[in-house]
Amino acid sequence: MTATASTVHLLEMATGKLVEADLLDQVEERHLKDWDTQWRPLVAATVRRLVTTNAPMSQWPQSFHWNWRQKIEDMKGILSGASFCIECEGVTQGMMALNVTSARTRLAQQKGQHLVYVEYLEAAPWNRPEHVAQPRFRGIGSILMYAAVARSQAEGFKGRVGLHALPQSHVFYADKCGMTDMGPDPNVQKLHYFEMTVEQAEGFVDGKERS
Amino acid sequence: MAAKKTMTLNLTDAEMDALERLSADKDLTKTAILRQALRLYQLVEARLVRGEKLYFENDATKEKAELMLV
Repeated sequence: MTATASTVHLLEMATGKLVEADLLDQVEERHLKDWDTQWRPLVAATVRRLVTTNAPMSQWPQSFHWNWRQKIEDMKGILSGASFCIECEGVTQGMMALNVTSARTRLAQQKGQHLVYVEYLEAAPWNRPEHVAQPRFRGIGSILMYAAVARSQAEGFKGRVGLHALPQSHVFYADKCGMTDMGPDPNVQKLHYFEMTVEQAEGFVDGKERS
Repeated sequence: MAAKKTMTLNLTDAEMDALERLSADKDLTKTAILRQALRLYQLVEARLVRGEKLYFENDATKEKAELMLV
């Protein structure tokens, strides 16, 4: 199956201009190659720098151990998995892996309903301030979350989305995406569980379309 | 999402009742319920083929019961 592309726009931080990018509904080999040859060396350089400067672990990029090749390999042929990525200027700028089957909502007002669960979402290291002083593009996380909400709506889940967030991403999911922080989950390394209701999804999509 | 194909499905009254009840409880169309069922079945099969087992755990007592699949 070949990925389908939709045009999206990223904010180029150096110029303040919007640049065209492709949102693809499947992570393919070339994206994993970018992860291997372009993302990982930059992440490794950041970790080396942090070790050299004795930086506390709280400053380390918390997704540095994620292995996208393994994650995508595990999802191959499995209908409950889905993946998305963003390409701009011929390079992978962000990736996301979803589970569209085996998770259920936890918030009291929608408990037990189906939702799209975001397994992993990551922007390329050159787009993140933990790695570079001046990130290249902005908007990757929001566009991928928008894709997760759209997928939830297409599945009939009305935009409900859930995820466990790394501490460095709490502000993004709570403030930018408007999700409810349900606190640490003792079953998932005490990561905070965030959930988006139908109303929050509508608000997030409305805000995205206005921006 | 990918292009879709249509099929006719013959169900007994009991099966249709169960499908309609799930559809109402989960606020999903009957097609969406069957799609979810297929995905879950495929996922469970893939894990079993890898030599894994399927358990249900009681949230309060933490008691585990293996679901026997043949």
